[in-house]
Amino acid sequence: MSGIFVVLQERDGRVSRASWEAIAAGQLLGSQLNQPVTAVVLGAATEALATEAAAKAIAQVVRVDHPLLAQYTADGFITALAQLIQSQSPAAMVLPHTYQVRDYAPALAARLGQVLISDVVAIGDGPTFTRQLLQGRLTGAYRPTGSGPCFISVQAGAFRADAVQAGAAEVTTFTPTIDTAQIRTQPGEPFRGAAQTVDLGSAQLIVAVGRGIKDADNLPLVQELATALGAEIAASRPICDNGWLPMERQVGSSGQTVSPKLYLAVGISGAIQHLVGMKGSQCIVAINKDPDAPIFEVADYGIAGDLFEVIPALTEAVKAAKQ
Amino acid sequence: MKIIVAIKQVPERDAQVRIDSSAKWIDESGLQWALNESDAYALEEALQQKEKNGGEVIVLTAGPERVGPTIREALAKGADRAIHIDCNDLASRDALGVARLLAAAAKQESPDLILTGLQSEDLGLGQTGVIVAELLGLPHATLILQVEKTETGIKVKRELEEGWFQSVELSTPAVLTIQSGGNKLRYATLMGIKKAKTKDVRRVTAAELAVDSTPVVVLERIALPQKQKTTQMLPGTPKEAAAALVEKLKFEARVL
Amino acid sequence: MNPLALTLAEPQHFSVLEKLLLALLTLTSAALFWRRFGVVLDKILKSRKDAGFSLRPLGRRLWDFVWEVMLQAKVIRQRPFAGLAHAFVFWGFCAFALVTLNHFAAGFGLGFLSPDGLFGHFYFTFAAIFALACALGILGLFIRRFLIRPKWLGTKLSYESGFIALLIFVLMATYLAAFFVPDGSTAVLILWWVHTLAILTFLPIIPHTKHLHLLLSPATVFLSRGGFSKIPALDGDEDFGLVAGTDLTRLVTLQAYSCVECGRCTEHCPAANTGKLLNPKEVILNLRGYLNNLGPASDKPLIESLAAPEVPFQCTTCGACEFQCPVGIEHLPILIGLRRGAVNTGAWEDDYGSKLFLALERGSNPLGMPATDRDKFIEKAALPLFDGSQEYCLWLGCMGAYDPQGRQIVTDLARILNYLGISYGVLRKEKCTGDAARRLGNDLLFQQLAEANLEALAQSKVKKMLSICPHCVRTIQEDWKEYGTPPEIEHHTEFLARFADKLPKEKSEEETVYHDPCYLGRYRHVYDAPRTLIRASGQLVEAPRSHERSFCCGAGGGLTFLGEETGERVSHVRTAELVATGATTIATACPFCNSMFRDALADKGEAAPQLLDIAQLTARNLPDTIA
Repeated sequence: MSGIFVVLQERDGRVSRASWEAIAAGQLLGSQLNQPVTAVVLGAATEALATEAAAKAIAQVVRVDHPLLAQYTADGFITALAQLIQSQSPAAMVLPHTYQVRDYAPALAARLGQVLISDVVAIGDGPTFTRQLLQGRLTGAYRPTGSGPCFISVQAGAFRADAVQAGAAEVTTFTPTIDTAQIRTQPGEPFRGAAQTVDLGSAQLIVAVGRGIKDADNLPLVQELATALGAEIAASRPICDNGWLPMERQVGSSGQTVSPKLYLAVGISGAIQHLVGMKGSQCIVAINKDPDAPIFEVADYGIAGDLFEVIPALTEAVKAAKQ
Repeated sequence: MKIIVAIKQVPERDAQVRIDSSAKWIDESGLQWALNESDAYALEEALQQKEKNGGEVIVLTAGPERVGPTIREALAKGADRAIHIDCNDLASRDALGVARLLAAAAKQESPDLILTGLQSEDLGLGQTGVIVAELLGLPHATLILQVEKTETGIKVKRELEEGWFQSVELSTPAVLTIQSGGNKLRYATLMGIKKAKTKDVRRVTAAELAVDSTPVVVLERIALPQKQKTTQMLPGTPKEAAAALVEKLKFEARVL
Repeated sequence: MNPLALTLAEPQHFSVLEKLLLALLTLTSAALFWRRFGVVLDKILKSRKDAGFSLRPLGRRLWDFVWEVMLQAKVIRQRPFAGLAHAFVFWGFCAFALVTLNHFAAGFGLGFLSPDGLFGHFYFTFAAIFALACALGILGLFIRRFLIRPKWLGTKLSYESGFIALLIFVLMATYLAAFFVPDGSTAVLILWWVHTLAILTFLPIIPHTKHLHLLLSPATVFLSRGGFSKIPALDGDEDFGLVAGTDLTRLVTLQAYSCVECGRCTEHCPAANTGKLLNPKEVILNLRGYLNNLGPASDKPLIESLAAPEVPFQCTTCGACEFQCPVGIEHLPILIGLRRGAVNTGAWEDDYGSKLFLALERGSNPLGMPATDRDKFIEKAALPLFDGSQEYCLWLGCMGAYDPQGRQIVTDLARILNYLGISYGVLRKEKCTGDAARRLGNDLLFQQLAEANLEALAQSKVKKMLSICPHCVRTIQEDWKEYGTPPEIEHHTEFLARFADKLPKEKSEEETVYHDPCYLGRYRHVYDAPRTLIRASGQLVEAPRSHERSFCCGAGGGLTFLGEETGERVSHVRTAELVATGATTIATACPFCNSMFRDALADKGEAAPQLLDIAQLTARNLPDTIA
């Protein structure tokens, strides 16, 4: 078996950032096992993606092209990749840990008698693959013990996309054999949730504002930050009681319970009625002028400062980072 | 529809985590156990399907004797019967090994639908349902929030990244992994628990199912993560603190 | 003229025709009476038996009977003028017993009391005094109902009440008038017959109206469950609470038929006072209507006879209703029984309620907070862990462990305990006492929590407990008894008051208004201990509604976990009342009251009075050197 095969995923016609991170992981693994890295792109018209991938310092890009791969289906991807693996015998398969990969990679691995080691955050000697257990309270080191390729998917942000250098790679094509009868699911077009109703419960990024904002006129300051972040606006109860924001934006025991990736609490003190609504957030940032405010107890990051100065600075910094 | 819901008993969220002497797993003494959260949503979806379209809901679980109360909880919430794969060495099996047990038991029932939770709160692999589908040769879909019966099978609402969704149609029998939050969960009631007393729990040993249990992936060692959760206060002028925060959010917390 | 020299005149002779007429009328009246009363009695007896009911201890029952029925204590105390007027009417009736008996006996020529005899003369004069008081009483009540028209009696004028008032007045008037007419005269004969007809008209009316309480309420008071908010244990595998008519027990049916529609329960109900649908009087009358129309064997859901299915869930279980009721109706077991019927069967579908139950099913506290937060607090506050060697186990509860304000109360209490040299420790792990589960009627969850806790406490060898939360105290001390023997527990104000003379006092002019928490005041009768402690550091000011009349903060009955209320907020109403006293400090003894007032004071900004728990007030006086 040879070669580290990294499966890239497309986003808006280009290779996604998570895929570059997977390449970086693949390169790390490759240098440990002394194996070359091959990128794999799947679809019905993969030329552009392949060209993009070929401009990196990897050994090869394989275009897995087939009309039935135009739209993602688990059956299509599994069939195609299983054939590729059987033909090329890679030592390892590295994938970004996306919803799409979670949908097919476990089955692909099982078809080949392997098990996917998913959501890897670090690669150690062996190789061993580290992932989180018990919702982040523990880490575990996994080691593949079977014969046959090992399968891993890497957590977003665990490896640096900018670690992948520029280069020139050879592009080859692999045409799998797929029959329409093998595709057993009919996916529809992606759509957004109902635009009218505010669904804080599924928001991934939230900026919440509390009494520290002092006046409804100051809300635009926070709105700008939310827009820059691509976040939803929420509020603690007094803000909604005053009518500065609608009731459906209230987070707390008598409002919504949220669990976003990022919860930015601006001018919120941290009373229990509010905490119970947002304690499930992955990352909590608190900005409050009182360094003893209870909110800092639950925050991962805190800035004890005047929000009227911090928020504009933060908005600028976020805009700069997004470029 | 005959629906099998594969559930898992996991350590309770509040559990204090101590690594055991082998350093391969946590010390289970004194732990409280609960039904895995997304499995509760899977069960809820199954019960709602039964309420809408009739049929039977069977819960399937693998584990030692202590999974009993979790099975009863599922029966109390409305499942019709249960299958308990009595297995004391779950930890020594990998995801494929566990899926083989579940698939073997499920196959005997010829269900129309197999539902699992999206991922477990302890190992968080998120693969069991997908592997079961592969083993049984059934179509599958993951991250499902809603299920609707159609003439030809089912139509499901799947969650995509960044607030997007997708409808997928597939025929039954099929396997679905259910995402948390799609439905409102029901609470266990006194009436439910009383009814559960007379419901059938079929016990089958892992040995009887005769599946291959040699792992191809092994959890060698567990450890407490280096960084404990403490609040990082970012000092400096507003501009400095803001810049530091963005840096942290991007590379440390990885939420930007 | 000496009034005592007056004697009662009587008709001297009744003809056979008159006696026959009297017999006929009496029998007719009695039959009409029984026609309705028999039905009511039947409904009561056909209701299912109250499991575990025992007449013993008899002492308590007798005392309640004497105090509440004979002395009319509750009737007078809570509404003094109307209450006294009613008391006179009642005492009049009691005094009149022999008079009425003799009256009818005389009609058949078998009179046994002679107005000329020593005893007869004394007795008739004695009854006359009561008749006068009764007449004045009924006149006063008439004026109140028809002219003053207080809100609590409802907007519809009750002609039936008016008619009864008239009859009673006539009874007394005819009796008194008989002192002023000659013996054996036509006038006295007319008076006699008017009096008789008044009685015979009154008798059948009794079971058809709320005047049924004349016969029932003495029994209702005597047979009541006693205690306060005594929630009966479920009876067997098929009992899920008050689901349908078949679940109504004899006691509940008796209570439903005893309601006099006085409206005292509604008058003090926080829900009814803030625009909610819940009206305790209406709930009792709805049950009565159900019993009248469908009966105790019906399986139609009881909750459908209420104004809306959410009605029982608007109750904060403050107990003002049950506390006030002069005829012994126990509203709380009924309201909680209705909740049980909806929750134990899964019929209650409420987002917040489900969330609360699920949080308690999978976690250790109703707030859904991770237990590690509690661990961090204990470590940061350097609270000692209970190891069996300390005298007290300090129970944190959910607010004490997770709410920033609750935590401050705990740390201040810890300072006081250190100052007093009292040894205490906190448990490594706590599970919710189950108060919210209990009050919302989730018996499965409550049983699980109570049993788990009792076992854990026994294992930890806890003997004495202290808590900052009256809800925890009540649930541990009373409700856990259903599943075992709980350790002794005290509320921190009861405890600290015992050490009042050891605690430093700071004379200050600061006006502090005290809010009696429902679960400490009405539920536990602790009114003085917190006040003693307040006086040690300020001037005590009373709210207009205080002690057993204290107006709920709105958090109880699990409502603090149930999301937004409709109508006005109970907490805002009470806060406004407390602020209006002009006090600069509001003192609380319950972390939930504290939390509710904190929210309500939020819009007062800088002008708000400070809000402190009794522990915080007391700790302020401690020397700074005490940690």
